Amino acid sequence: METPQEIVTIASSDLLAKVQEQKDAGHRLVQICATTLEQLELSYSFMGKEGITHLRLLLPRDQPSLPSITDIYFGAFAYENEMHDLFGIDIRDIRVDYKGKFYKISEPAPFNAGCLIPTRKQPS
Amino acid sequence: MSNRTIIPFGPQHPVLPEPIHLDLVVEDERVIEAIPSFGFIHRGLERLVEKKDFQEFTFVAERVCGICSFIHGMGYCQAVERVMGITLPPRADYLRTFWAELSRIHSHLLWMGLVADAFGFENLFMNSWRIRENILDIVEETTGGRVIFGAAKIGGTRRDVTNDKLKEIGRTLKTIEAELHAITDVFEQDYSVQQRLRGIGILSREDAFDLGAVGPTLRGSGEPMDARCEGYAAYRDIEVEPIVESDCDSYARCMVRIREIYQSFDIIRQVLCRMPDGETEIKVKGYPNGEHFARLEQPRGEVLYYVKGNGTKHLDRFRVRTPTFANIPPLLKMLQGCDLPDVPVIVLTIDPCISCAER
Amino acid sequence: MSGWLSAILYILLAPVAGGLIAGIDRKLTARMQRRIGPPIFQPFYDLFKLIDKENVIVNLYQNLYLTGFLVFNIVAGTLFFAGGDLLLVIFALALSGIFLVLGAASATSPYSHIGAERELIQMMACEPMLLIAAMGLYLLPHSFQVRDILAVDKPLFLYLPGILFGLLYILTIKLRKSPFDLSTSHHAHQEIVKGITTEFSGPALAVVELAHWYETILILGMIYLFFAWNPWVAVPATIGLYLAEILVDNTNARLTWRWTVTSSWLIAAVAGAGNLIVLFYFLKAGF
Repeated sequence: METPQEIVTIASSDLLAKVQEQKDAGHRLVQICATTLEQLELSYSFMGKEGITHLRLLLPRDQPSLPSITDIYFGAFAYENEMHDLFGIDIRDIRVDYKGKFYKISEPAPFNAGCLIPTRKQPS
Repeated sequence: MSNRTIIPFGPQHPVLPEPIHLDLVVEDERVIEAIPSFGFIHRGLERLVEKKDFQEFTFVAERVCGICSFIHGMGYCQAVERVMGITLPPRADYLRTFWAELSRIHSHLLWMGLVADAFGFENLFMNSWRIRENILDIVEETTGGRVIFGAAKIGGTRRDVTNDKLKEIGRTLKTIEAELHAITDVFEQDYSVQQRLRGIGILSREDAFDLGAVGPTLRGSGEPMDARCEGYAAYRDIEVEPIVESDCDSYARCMVRIREIYQSFDIIRQVLCRMPDGETEIKVKGYPNGEHFARLEQPRGEVLYYVKGNGTKHLDRFRVRTPTFANIPPLLKMLQGCDLPDVPVIVLTIDPCISCAER
Repeated sequence: MSGWLSAILYILLAPVAGGLIAGIDRKLTARMQRRIGPPIFQPFYDLFKLIDKENVIVNLYQNLYLTGFLVFNIVAGTLFFAGGDLLLVIFALALSGIFLVLGAASATSPYSHIGAERELIQMMACEPMLLIAAMGLYLLPHSFQVRDILAVDKPLFLYLPGILFGLLYILTIKLRKSPFDLSTSHHAHQEIVKGITTEFSGPALAVVELAHWYETILILGMIYLFFAWNPWVAVPATIGLYLAEILVDNTNARLTWRWTVTSSWLIAAVAGAGNLIVLFYFLKAGF
C-alpha cells in the first residue's frame, strides 16, 4: 500500500516551528533537498505512520540563509552541510558544521549557478 | 591516563577502500570520537540531469552505485513514470522486481563477505563471494551486465527473459539457496563470529529512529520499516513482511541481512510463479511535467528519488537520497566508545556505500 | 648426530623449510577456501622480490632492531637444535620479539604503534605457557637441556597432554594465525592495516619474513619434543598438528586482545599448571 504524500508550503520563518511539530508527532526525517529554479525551492521530507509530508519553502537565490534544524533532528547535519556546499545556502548554527569542507569541490555553490544549458526555456 | 592517538581510517585503508575518511581518536584502544570527512569524489550526477535527455538519464541514474545499480535505475524510472502517469505492463513490473531482488541477494552476499573480512574470517569471505558469483552469472544471462544491468528504461524494461529461461533460473536458484545455508549457519552459530558481533555497535531503537537510520540498520534496532511495503512494482501482489531483529547490535543487523536473503529467494520464487505474459514496455510520449518523490527499498535501506520536470526533455531536478547518506549519523553514534578492533565491523554493519552517497 | 651439526643444518635449511611450509600453508589455505592459490614456491619469489626492492626506512634504528629480531630468532633456534638449554631458547625468543616491537615502535605510524602494543600483549599472553611448558619438559629428564629431553625414552605427550594443548593454543599466537592474528596478520585487512609490520618495506620486510620462517621451524621443533621418543610418530604428529593449526586459522574469526589474554592465561593456568602439578605428584609418588 502506497504511503500518501503531501507537499505543504510554509514560510521560511516558520521552519523551526513546523519541524518541531513534526518531531513532536514522532515523525522521521527522511531527507532535505533543494532545487534551483528562479528561487531556491527546499523540501524537508518527514515520514510518519499516516504518510509523508514534504515541507516546501522558497528562498532567494542570492545570499539565502536559514536556521539549522540540527537541534531538533541531529541527523540533518549531513543534508544541511550538503545544501551549504552545493547551493550556497548559509545555514546558521549547524551542530556539526564543516564550514564548506563537506564536499571537496572546486567551485563554491555549483548547483546554484546558472542553468547548464543557457538556451533552455526557464519555467514560468 | 590519557594516551590519545589519532588513527586515520580510510580512504586509503585496506578495510575501508571507500571514499570516506574517519579520524578515530583513541585512548589506548578505545575510540573516544570518530570525526568523519566525505566529499572526496562528489560527482554532481544530480546536476547532470539538466544536460541529459530524461530518457538517457536512466543510465546515469544507474551508475550512481556499482552494487545496487539496478534499483537506482528502477527508482528513477519509477519516479518519472509517476510524473508522466505511465502504468507499466505487468510483465515489466515483475521483471524489475526479479532483478531488484537478485541485486539485493548479491549485495547482501557481498556484504557478508566484507564483514567476514573485517573480522578476519577469510574463509567465510571467499565462500560468500563464491556464491555471489553464481547470482552474478544469472544476472549476466538475463541482462548482459554483471554490475550495471542496464535493464530498466522509462516505460518498461529493455529486455525480456523467456519463460523457459526463467524456469531454469528458478532451478538454479534452488541449488544456490541450498549451498547458502552452509555459510549463513556459520554466521548464526560460530562462536568466534558471535564474539565479534554480539553486543558490538549498539544502536537503540530511539537513536536509530531519531538519527534517521534506514534499512537493515533501522530494522536491526527493532523498527519494522521496509519501503517495499509501499507496494511498488510487483510488490503490490507480493506481500513483504519487514524483517526485524530487536537486539540492536551488529549481530542483529547481520541476521536481518541474512534473513532478507532468504526472503528475497522467496520473493523471486513468487515472481517466477506469477510472471504474467505480455509486453515488457510501452511507448513513452511527451515530456514529464510535475514532481514526485519515489520511495524504494535498496539492499542498504530506503532510498528516495525526487524528480521535478518542466514539460521539456530536460528535468529541473533529480535528487536521490541514498541509504548510506542517511546511515552516517547513526554510524557516528555507534562508533563512540567502541573498541578499535570493532571499528571495521561497526562501519560495515551499516553496509557503507560511500560512492553511492557521493552522487 | 652431534648437536652442532644439526645447529648448522638448522641455520642453513630452516629458511628453505620454513619458506616451503609457508608455501604449502598458503596453498592449503587457498584450497580450504576453494581457491586455486599461489604456487608453493611463492613465498620465495616474494622474499627475493622484497630483497630487490629499495631500502626505505623511516627511522635510523629500524634496520638495527630488525637485524636483532632476525639474529635472536636464529640464536634461539640454534640453541634449540644444538640441544641447548630450553629456558635460554625461550628467553632468546622473547628477546627477538622485543626487538621487533622496538622496530615497530621506532616508526611514527599509529598503525605500527598499536601493532607494537598488541605484540607486547600477545607476548604477555604467551610467556606464562611457554615457561610452564619448559617446566613440564624438565620434570621427566630433570634437565632443561634439549638433548636430555630428546633422550627420554617415554612418550612425553602422554605425560604432558595439558601442556601440549596449552602450547598448541599459544602457537596460534606465535604463528600469527586466526583467531589470534592481532598485531599483524597474513592479510592486511585489519583495522591497523598490517599492524606491527606496516612500516617495514623491501629488504626490512624480507628480514621479518625470514625471521618468521626460522621461528616456524623452531616452533615445530618444540612440538616435536613431545613425541620425540619415536620419530615415526613424531614427524606425522608434528605435521598433523601444524595442519590442525591451518584448519583453525580457516575456521575462526579474529578475536580481540582481551579475549586472547584471558583465554590463554586461563588455559595456561588450568591445562598447563594443572598438568604440571598432577605430574609432579605422580612422579613424586614414584610412577
